[in-house]
Amino acid sequence: MLYDLRHSDLQVRWLVTLLLATLGTSYLFGAWMVGLYAGFSPRKVAETYGPAGEAMMAMQMPPDSTVVTERPVSMAEMGEEHHHVDRDLLIQDTHVHMPMYAVIAACLSVIALGLALPRWAGLSIIALLFAAPWLDFAGMWLTKLASPRFAIVTLAGGWAMALGYTIVAVLATYQMWWRKQ
Amino acid sequence: MKTFFLGAAAAALLHITPTVVLVKRQDAVARLLPGADNFAVRELHLSSADSRRLHDAVGWEPPDGVVTFYVGKHQGQVTGALIFMRVDCQHGPIELAIGYDPRGTIRGVEVTKATVEMKPWIVEALRAGLANEYHGLAVAEAPSGAEKVKPRIGTMPGYMAELIDKGVMHANAAYRLFYGRK
Repeated sequence: MLYDLRHSDLQVRWLVTLLLATLGTSYLFGAWMVGLYAGFSPRKVAETYGPAGEAMMAMQMPPDSTVVTERPVSMAEMGEEHHHVDRDLLIQDTHVHMPMYAVIAACLSVIALGLALPRWAGLSIIALLFAAPWLDFAGMWLTKLASPRFAIVTLAGGWAMALGYTIVAVLATYQMWWRKQ
Repeated sequence: MKTFFLGAAAAALLHITPTVVLVKRQDAVARLLPGADNFAVRELHLSSADSRRLHDAVGWEPPDGVVTFYVGKHQGQVTGALIFMRVDCQHGPIELAIGYDPRGTIRGVEVTKATVEMKPWIVEALRAGLANEYHGLAVAEAPSGAEKVKPRIGTMPGYMAELIDKGVMHANAAYRLFYGRK
């Protein structure tokens, strides 16, 4: 343990508590946003990050000759937001989100360093915190480039992120405010 | 520790701002396909050769290989077509709706989405009359709205106008090369 959150100054514990509360709130809204734009099932995630169009499962490679499909559509459907992340947008998303995920994982890791935990547990929590964003984006890229089946990796990344945060938040809150010895 | 906090601040500052809707898609459809009461979506899954053709023409191809046109009809007659086009830049994405009349000239251009940061720049460019510059433009003509409005607007609105020109150019190329494809 590099420092001891249990016996740290009240200001430090207050800072950590507010940071965890703020991150927790942003995670809840993050989950809400995932529900709105990508979904929580492998099929929904594959639709969002996989190849575009109706025949997305069948048409991952460009056809030999251009295929034209036409079907009626209502005004409401035209106005609907079909949130699909193509390659260019995924490049931008990866560029924008990976640094922020790294900062969040680093903040939670710094908190984990102050917890009374065996070394292996600390290492595991830190590994989990950093593995989550890697899994998240690896899943998105593999879904796009290799197979829609990799959508499950993105879901695993999302759940790993939630699990890592929950472990750190619960342990830190308990150790800072209840278990002083 | 100082480096850590500077890194965190830099990451926060470099974050692309959230997307805002400037014009709802349905409103854009109503304005760009007036009189239409029936709609169809026409998707073209481009072959490698057609993707290359498009790329050779304007230096762009749809990242997922699909070009989507929305066709408006009234009593079985085509009243026009519309294409949503995204243009990316380091400040985030802009979404345009480009409407065509049945003769294949531009009926209008709407900016449907942008980021919070870009919105005031785009609004300034539009207030300077940028959208009017595309009205009646043939698909073979190069859009030059930015050139016309730049003397009247700031640097960043001018840059936004260039991006909108680029989006219109991409849409024109897609329309010219593929709209009539059966």
